[in-house]
Amino acid sequence: MSRGHIVIEDVVKVYDPEGAAVMAVDHCSLEIEPGEICMIVGPSGCGKTTLLNAIAGFHDITSGRIVMDGEVLCSTASPQATSGPDRIVVFQNGALFPWKSNLENVIFGPVMQGKLARRAALDKGRAMMADAGLSGVEHNYPGEVSSGMRRRVEIVRALMNDPKALLEIYYKNKVTIFFITHDLEEAIFLGHRVAIMTTRPCKPKKVLDVDIPHPRDYGVLTSKRFRELIEETNDAVHEEALKAFQAGEKEG
Amino acid sequence: MLRETTPFGEAAEALLARIAAIAQPARYAAGSRIYSPDDPAEDLFVVVSGRVEHVMSPELRAREALKRVARGGVFGWTGLLLGQNRRLATVSATEPTDVLRINTEALLGLLASEPLEGGRVLERFTSMIQREFTVPALLAKVRRVSGPLTEEMSSLSLTMYRLSLWLRSPRPYLMVIGFALFLGFWYLAVEVWKLPRFREMPGLTSVVKEWFSPSPTYGLSIYTAEYYQHILVSIWRVTKAFCLATVLGVSFGLLLGWSRSFKEYVFPLFEMLRPIPILAWVPLAIVMFIATESAVVYLAFLASFFATALNTMLGVQSIDESYLRAATCLGANRRQVFRHVIIPGALPFIFTGLQISVGVSWFSLVAAEMVSGQYGLGYVINTSYMMVRYPTIIIGMATLGIVGYITSALVRIAGDYLMEWRVRELALADR
Repeated sequence: MSRGHIVIEDVVKVYDPEGAAVMAVDHCSLEIEPGEICMIVGPSGCGKTTLLNAIAGFHDITSGRIVMDGEVLCSTASPQATSGPDRIVVFQNGALFPWKSNLENVIFGPVMQGKLARRAALDKGRAMMADAGLSGVEHNYPGEVSSGMRRRVEIVRALMNDPKALLEIYYKNKVTIFFITHDLEEAIFLGHRVAIMTTRPCKPKKVLDVDIPHPRDYGVLTSKRFRELIEETNDAVHEEALKAFQAGEKEG
Repeated sequence: MLRETTPFGEAAEALLARIAAIAQPARYAAGSRIYSPDDPAEDLFVVVSGRVEHVMSPELRAREALKRVARGGVFGWTGLLLGQNRRLATVSATEPTDVLRINTEALLGLLASEPLEGGRVLERFTSMIQREFTVPALLAKVRRVSGPLTEEMSSLSLTMYRLSLWLRSPRPYLMVIGFALFLGFWYLAVEVWKLPRFREMPGLTSVVKEWFSPSPTYGLSIYTAEYYQHILVSIWRVTKAFCLATVLGVSFGLLLGWSRSFKEYVFPLFEMLRPIPILAWVPLAIVMFIATESAVVYLAFLASFFATALNTMLGVQSIDESYLRAATCLGANRRQVFRHVIIPGALPFIFTGLQISVGVSWFSLVAAEMVSGQYGLGYVINTSYMMVRYPTIIIGMATLGIVGYITSALVRIAGDYLMEWRVRELALADR
């Protein structure tokens, strides 16, 4: 089963090519195995999100190509991928519809795509919310629950488009996860590999294999290997952040 | 026994019998602890006889932490709160006490089986927690049973709750003082001090006398049929103009915000027509519409149309890009995005627009009525001026103020009803 094999080949993204020509992503290549959890870290504003937006199809790329499971999502010839339920983004600041109840949010995907009848979607939504520890807030609006709960509702909404629930999806269904974060501990704790990006323009500086076996528990956080990996990432990110800072000073 | 309690007192007989069937009697000796904070909250207690002391944990900031509960009192309702399965208070019996224990989960199950009745019971719990246990912070967390009817009712009860809060706050009294100061100044300036600019003005007493007189000097008071005819004519015109402006303005605004090419065609023209004052349209309106009635409605419509359309367009543009992205990436097509994201997302702005629109619609209606027309409050004001009936002018103005306030309030209520999510968010933010 090859699901979610993402190959990023030589992707370049230049914002405003005729004007300021800001190069956000510079010849970036990265291969993400099916079912891998690939964590992306790097200084803020380095172009991590630009890369994600290109995969999700929210904007175009300047050159290069992105291939998923042998299908070209975008390339120099057709620079913008089509967004769709095979690649679902869980937004950093949350994008639950505040005007829909949590349950209505969760069933949005399958109902819109016509994959499930409303009633079936409601049942499935309730079950998945229960698995994620969200029973009792189905009829509340996102604005009425804590931000942690909102986050979970959003993840459930994303997972509704694929069978099996929260953590199980990873171990059973092997969804590929492209995860952008600033939290290094989180990155190493969750990821198979951690790609540390350079400061703008963005490309992988270093791809770190996290050789701690899955499934991991919180005990990992205090292990020696975990600390070493943190150290290693920290140094790399720090170096880039420093560069970003100096570049900023020059520009300013 | 359950009949004597606040939350169950008015429930239907059948539901009450089913609740009674799951209640278990229990007895506590004087001085015994019934539960402490952080104990699992499984049961609800109804006091049958005796007395208990109920002390809320300090972090809840109850206005009165200590409460004595006697026969008919209900405590142990924490299990009904959302995401709360631990006790929040210390409760001990001060004398030998008999209680009924009702399992919370079972109770919620029963309430959910009859959403209408069950919803009412939970609402009475809400008001009981607020009134008797004085912890407003917990209110929003009382669970609701699903079903469309209860959703409506909880929206209604929230309004009622806010109304009762409002009446207990100093605000209504400040409002009364504000009115009193204004009227007092009017009275003193015109009738007592006779200030230079106010000398010709009708005084408060003459206006009130005229307004409430069964046989008014100038022919218009709350006892004359004519007064109501003028009001009704004006309201009917505003209603027509406002409804037409809402239908056309909202659809036009949505289209402006949604389609870039449509906006490029139309928006510059729209922006050029919008600043033209309504009064400047009067001659053209009279030429265009032979009947004065449609001319007046047209003028009122025009002003509110612009306000509604502009706000709707801004509403569409205000929608965060990530909602649109989330919707497309969950597989919604363009039409579905419009229906499920654009329209609800723009609603807060649309209703701001409608509030403005109903205001300007009155404004331009009166202007139009002053120029042409045989009935309506604007006509009343203008003819009273011509015929030197000064108190009647004030009656017309005050009536306009009152009617305008009511229409604007109606729009706000409709908005709250359609945007329950927003009302709740704001209520949680204590606004």
